[in-house]
Order: sequence, then C-alpha cells, then structure tokens
Amino acid sequence: MGGKADQQRFETLWREHRGIVLKVAGVYTRHAEERLDLAQEIGAQLWRSFAAFDERKAKFSTWLYRIALNVAISHLRRESGGDGRFEPLDERHLETIAGESAAEADERVEALRAFIGELDALNRALILLYLEDRSYAEIAEVLGISATNVATKINRIKHKLRGRMTAASTTGA
Amino acid sequence: MELDEMKQAWARMDLRQDDMEALLRQDLRKRRMDKLRSTMRKSMVWQAIESVCWVAFVVWVTSFWVDRRHVTHLLVIGLLLHAYGIAGIWSGVTQLLLLIRIYLFDAPVLVLQRRLAQLRRFRMISTLALGLPWWFLWLLLPLVVLTWWSGVDMFAGASEWIWANMAVGAVGTGFSLWLARHLAGRPTRSPWLQRMIDDMSGRSLARASRQLEEIARFERELPVRPPV
Repeated sequence: MGGKADQQRFETLWREHRGIVLKVAGVYTRHAEERLDLAQEIGAQLWRSFAAFDERKAKFSTWLYRIALNVAISHLRRESGGDGRFEPLDERHLETIAGESAAEADERVEALRAFIGELDALNRALILLYLEDRSYAEIAEVLGISATNVATKINRIKHKLRGRMTAASTTGA
Repeated sequence: MELDEMKQAWARMDLRQDDMEALLRQDLRKRRMDKLRSTMRKSMVWQAIESVCWVAFVVWVTSFWVDRRHVTHLLVIGLLLHAYGIAGIWSGVTQLLLLIRIYLFDAPVLVLQRRLAQLRRFRMISTLALGLPWWFLWLLLPLVVLTWWSGVDMFAGASEWIWANMAVGAVGTGFSLWLARHLAGRPTRSPWLQRMIDDMSGRSLARASRQLEEIARFERELPVRPPV
C-alpha cells in the first residue's frame, strides 16, 4: 500500500478509535497534561506499527488495545521509576476525566476510579478491558493469557471489590 | 458495588474529550507522520552500526595480538581487549535482536512487557560489564593504539607506572560500586546520574527482576476461590 493511502486509512481508523486511546491514557496517568502526552505517545506508536497491521490476523480494536496498553504500561513504569507502584488518581484528574468536579461526581464513579487507582498496571489493563465490555476471549488475546485465567482474575477482582465494600460499610456504620 | 455496576458507572463516565481529541489530531499532523516512522528505524540502524563497529574492533585487536604474540604482555593485553570486544558484540547484537522483537509494540501485553523487562535487565548487565572495565581500558587501549601506530611499546618503558595505574583501577572499580550502593535511594538532580547510580548499585536490576516476577505472577492461573 502506498504511503498516502496508508496514511489516509490510518487517519480514518484513528478518528474512529481515538476515544479508546484517551480512555487508556486516562487510566494510566494522573493529570490532563500527562494524559495528552501519553495519548500522543500511543498515537505515534500506532502509526509506527500500522504498516505491519494485518486485519486477517487480528481485529483492529485488539491490535489497538495491545499497542495502547503496552505503551501506557511502559510509560507508567518509566514515570514511577519502574517500581510499578501507583498513587491514587487525584482530584484534578477526576475533573478532567469526567468534566465535572469531584464533589459533583457520582459516588459510584468515584468509587470506581479509586478502585482502579489501587490496582497494579496489569490488573488495570484487565479491568479496563472488562469495563469496555470486551469478551473474555478478546481480553485473553490482548493480554496474552488464557480466557480461563481472565475469568479467574475477574472473579478475584469481584471478590476483592465486594470485600472492600463490605469493609467500608462496616466502618461507616 | 459489584463489577457489573462498575460497568454501568464506567459507561456513564462521559469523557469530555473533544478538546483533547482536537489537540491529539493536530499533534499527529504536526509531528509529520513519515518522520515518526523513521525515528524508530534510525535507532535500530544505530544499534546495527554499533555491532558492526564492535566486529571491526575485534578484527583489529586480533590482528594486533597475532602479530605480537611473541611479546607476552602485548599478547595478554590484546587478548583482554579481544574479550572486551566479544562482550561488546554480544551486547550489541543481543540488544538489536531484543529491539527487533519489541519495536512494533503489537505483541500481547504480557509477552511484550516481559521482553521489555528482559531488555532493561540485559542493558543494565551490559552497561556494568562494558562500563566498569574502563577503569583499566583508559590506559590499555591508548597503549595498544600507540604500539600499533608507532611501534613504541610504552609498557616495556614504564611498566611500574602502568601497574600502579592498574592497581588504582582495581581500587576505583571497588570504590565506584561502593559509592553507587551508598548513594542508591538518595535523590539526585541529574536524571542521568540517578540512572547511573541505579544501574551500578543493582537497584535497576532488582526493579527489572521484580517486573518479570510480577508478570509471571499475573500469568499464573490460580484456582477460583470457593464462594464464601
């Protein structure tokens, strides 16, 4: 495929899917500025890899999630000094991700963000794909683990979340 | 809140990203897409050039010590540099192969993250293996170049001075490692210095190993807990 046609095709796909890129960037960064930087980094890497994209081998969304998550996790490891520890998402981030102040934010949305903020890089990827309503088979394909393993891990996260909510309600009571 | 409720909450997170999307679009255009592609290729080409330079170095050193094999100290120094050159080839080629395996970033997340951690770990090991010998090489390499170029054997004329510097080199190597361990964990102003300290103290290596363990742990299939 020629360079120009290649670029046009990429731009069309990019227009359709850049919402995904921003969501991935939102889950792995704390501030709006950093989020835009990461989204740009992902965009650049997607374009670099686009020539090798083969739609017979993988769906575009699967390919895009793989690259976006790989770049985001690498960015996070670099920014956190590689120790893989994360700080919870802050208030400013909440404003930019939802377009509303933390005070106005839905209680559940806040709880969701807080919960995601506590997860490590790989579990964040897993939960993001789950929340994006991807099938277990596609999550497995993106992450490189079996669908059974995906189901097991989702169950564990559910269990953890339930435990956290129970503890919170006990403390609050 | 159950995960299914979380899904609903996620769907309701109406990301106001119009401005962000516009900025993102502009940026990709501004950066010239053809340029973006060539940057990565350039780094691979540089890695390949580095490997070729190491091969040329080994060829040159081999011819040096073969021609002077009857002079023991020149033979030994030549063989040491030969071993150093082999380590350089091994480092350059391995890094190039690892880069080729990752540069598209389109492998499954766990596969690619493992490769990245392996590359990081390898880079740290090779930085140490190729960096620390410079406590000795700063003297041995010019000595060999001088002998090869002018025929003057500096070692024969000033062997005591050279041995004294080798001893300083041995102490310097130990001191560098001690200092790196001593400074590890303390913040420095220069990111370059911070990285060097982390590499030499083994902190970066431990970090890369932790990442590999984290990936292995995530990959492991664990039995589902029975419902409580």
